Amino acid sequence: MDSFINQYGFLIVQMVLQAVLALSLYLPLMAGQLSLASPAFYAVGGYVAAVLSTQKFLPPAGTVFPEPVQSLVIWLATVFPGAQDGLYPAGLVVLEMLIAGLISGVLALMVGFPALRLRGIYLALATIAFVEIVRVLSLNLPVTGGAIGIFNIPQPFHTKFEYLWIAGPLILLSVWFVARLERTRVGRAFAALREDELAATAMGINPTYHKVLAFTLGAVLAGMVGVVSAHFLNTWNARQGTFDLGVLVLAYVVIGGARTFAGPVLGALLLTALPEVLRAVAGLPGLPTWLTEFLREGRLIIYGILIAVGTVFFPQGLLTPEIFTRRRRPPGIQDSGAGETAPTEVS
Amino acid sequence: MNLTAGFQIIVNGMATGGVYAIFALGYTLVFSILGIINFAHSAVFTLGAYFTYALLGSQFGFNGLLARGRLPFGLSFPLALLGGAILAGLVAVMVERLAFRPLRKRGADPLLMLVSSLGVAVAIVNIIQYLFGAEPYTFPNILGGLPGSVNLGTPGTPLVARTVQLLIAGVSLVILALLTVYINYTNTGKALRAVAEDATTASLLGINTDRLVLLTFFLSGFIGGIAGTLVGLSVGITGPYFGIAFGLKGLSVIILGGLGSIPGAVLGGIVIGIGENLVPAEHVGYKDAVAFALLFIVLLVRPQGLLGRTQIQKV
Amino acid sequence: MSLLAVRNMTRRFGGLLAVSDVSFSVYKGEIFGLIGPNGAGKTTLFNLITGLTPPSSGDLEYKNRYITRLKPHQIAELGIARTFQNIRLFGNLTALENVLVSQHVHTRSGVLSGVIGTPGARREERQARWQAMELLEMVKLSDRAHVPALSFSYGDQRRLEIARALALQPELLLLDEPSAGMNANEKTTLTGFIREIRDRFGLTVVLIEHHVPMVMNLCDRIAVLNFGQLIALGEPAAVQNDSAVIEAYLGEQ
Repeated sequence: MDSFINQYGFLIVQMVLQAVLALSLYLPLMAGQLSLASPAFYAVGGYVAAVLSTQKFLPPAGTVFPEPVQSLVIWLATVFPGAQDGLYPAGLVVLEMLIAGLISGVLALMVGFPALRLRGIYLALATIAFVEIVRVLSLNLPVTGGAIGIFNIPQPFHTKFEYLWIAGPLILLSVWFVARLERTRVGRAFAALREDELAATAMGINPTYHKVLAFTLGAVLAGMVGVVSAHFLNTWNARQGTFDLGVLVLAYVVIGGARTFAGPVLGALLLTALPEVLRAVAGLPGLPTWLTEFLREGRLIIYGILIAVGTVFFPQGLLTPEIFTRRRRPPGIQDSGAGETAPTEVS
Repeated sequence: MNLTAGFQIIVNGMATGGVYAIFALGYTLVFSILGIINFAHSAVFTLGAYFTYALLGSQFGFNGLLARGRLPFGLSFPLALLGGAILAGLVAVMVERLAFRPLRKRGADPLLMLVSSLGVAVAIVNIIQYLFGAEPYTFPNILGGLPGSVNLGTPGTPLVARTVQLLIAGVSLVILALLTVYINYTNTGKALRAVAEDATTASLLGINTDRLVLLTFFLSGFIGGIAGTLVGLSVGITGPYFGIAFGLKGLSVIILGGLGSIPGAVLGGIVIGIGENLVPAEHVGYKDAVAFALLFIVLLVRPQGLLGRTQIQKV
Repeated sequence: MSLLAVRNMTRRFGGLLAVSDVSFSVYKGEIFGLIGPNGAGKTTLFNLITGLTPPSSGDLEYKNRYITRLKPHQIAELGIARTFQNIRLFGNLTALENVLVSQHVHTRSGVLSGVIGTPGARREERQARWQAMELLEMVKLSDRAHVPALSFSYGDQRRLEIARALALQPELLLLDEPSAGMNANEKTTLTGFIREIRDRFGLTVVLIEHHVPMVMNLCDRIAVLNFGQLIALGEPAAVQNDSAVIEAYLGEQ
């Protein structure tokens, strides 16, 4: 068990963090908005953590805050275990997450109100532009450490695997949040906008409000993942949170299934594990050398092909809501009228 | 800023912008027919540069499967450019068959084509890396005895253009002119425009949509391959990922000009090219943000782009 | 008393005058028919009233309040609900969810209270579901409340769309060709149904309809549009004998 954790602890936490990131992209999608902005908020969150933990929260807990905040910082720094043996207090990581969530949320409101007037591909492209602007800024601003970035971000745990103490509750809370949301008034408003924006507005749904809300919720989540990732990776720079990451996260959602929260989570877990699985397969004895070689060096080729093939053969993704509802539906009630189903417009 | 400096900025901007424009044309062609962005275009662009490099008979790098090898023959630069472009065009056709057609036939959500083309892009880029290694490649000198730069001004007020820039500008112009003639004055071009206008009606009128889509992909790959080679000539091939940065800027170009508009792509390319050259040297780090800041502003102020048409939503 | 007043409403699409200087009032409690040949501008007029299409000029007054510049969701909040000519249900949502969406403006729970499930939010949700089921019962779809809307038959979808509109608790209900695709028998049933909901919910109904006998039988008053212009307005018998109306319909044949 120990050796398993040593070998795969990093991967497991990575899978969990990517799953939360997938949910951050799924949230705006719930309201029908394809946004690739998650990496930008992820990057911002990471910088919040990096700056606060390396410059502001340094034990003995800083000197820079006005009084009520200062007490809170000191209290958080001591209330969680671990602070004693030279580790960075986990309580402060939580505080960083809240701050990063707040900053990401405010930023999302500022970007979201103008950008969410755009539809479909235009919105996706605007969010890509936003990601690039954040990247160029972080390459050039002094506070983000320029091209070098910020390194030696303090560690709240002895091993990478122990990051599950933070990543675990984060994914559970996010899944619970999104799953619940889908069954509430606001979640249904999102779904209605996604299905048919025009009809939804005619039924009294305020489109701008709900789109910005969904976008902001996703941003808050991405910012929080950024905080955990910055500590987890020990260093943060402009190569985190780029367009590439956006593509990857979009692939999680599409491969996993974009119509239920479970899809993005499954997609993220599978696709994050895939390169490691391929590496493990390459290590199996008895394979011809060329295959071993290819699996080792060409992993990402297979990865790309799987994304393309997966999309083509499972356009709905691996998981659809029907998988969950079919089982629950009482027997005897069929999807009626298969022969006389009215044509519905797919937009 | 004096007049000469202004001209210098325009010359540099046009050279950069010309490449942006022909790169973006590949996006625009496909978008006008299918209404979707082909994210594999930047990978095809990259491939074009590698193909031309190989066809010139140059030696491959020290990494990758083809390390230290070279083709048994070497073509002259114009032939290699053409060959590279044709091969890139064929790859684009393959991309259409693999990533677009199956979904198109099923009437799937265009978002899915976006993702499948991204998957193909990842695969292509990594195939390049597998074969050629991740190292940068420099094109051999193809200018022969020509000088490296030309002074278009006077000795007193120099207006210097690199010869490569002039070559790029020239080739870009030729491509634009040919494409404009092709689209506007040939039967195939007219059929293309008909499909872009209304694919359903066009197919009812007996236009073979599938063949035209293939042709469009070929053209987009062909032009993209040339753009890749030209950029490679100018700054070198910086590795398998060198198309990605262009890919993103190309998006800005087409949005700026108006999605699906060919003159728009040209205008967008030039505006961004000049905009980037306006960034003062001490802030050169922000140069890459110009395209995206412009994109963001245009989307907010005039979402249909400079030359695009508004779309009326039907109830 | 006039519930809705349409004043000099005009809408151009490029060079086309889809609706041209149309004025009329709809009185509280009446069933008001909107007829006219294809392309006469009837659906455009619905879109103007519900704010989906902004007018080129003209004014809308609803319950003595100008609503011309309001957004569609604000107009819906004021109690104007509609159905669509080409049925626009939320296909992947269940019948129940479709109806629940329209209760949005009458419920309050936000992201947090909903997700956490505060007692208030839970009570509200229970009540909303109960009311939605009642509406589904009324349109005889309650046994399939948990089936996605897109798998319903055409006629069922039309009824579900009416239930969804009613969930908005409107005072003014706009029905865009509610009998399209129905046989004579179903049309008769529908006529009775529209009267029933008008009485039960105290509605005012405006409907676009092609089937002339149904309009004559059902409507208190009728407006006739042709090429975007209002050419006749009045009680069914009067309109039926109006020379301009006869010409518009005969001219078409």
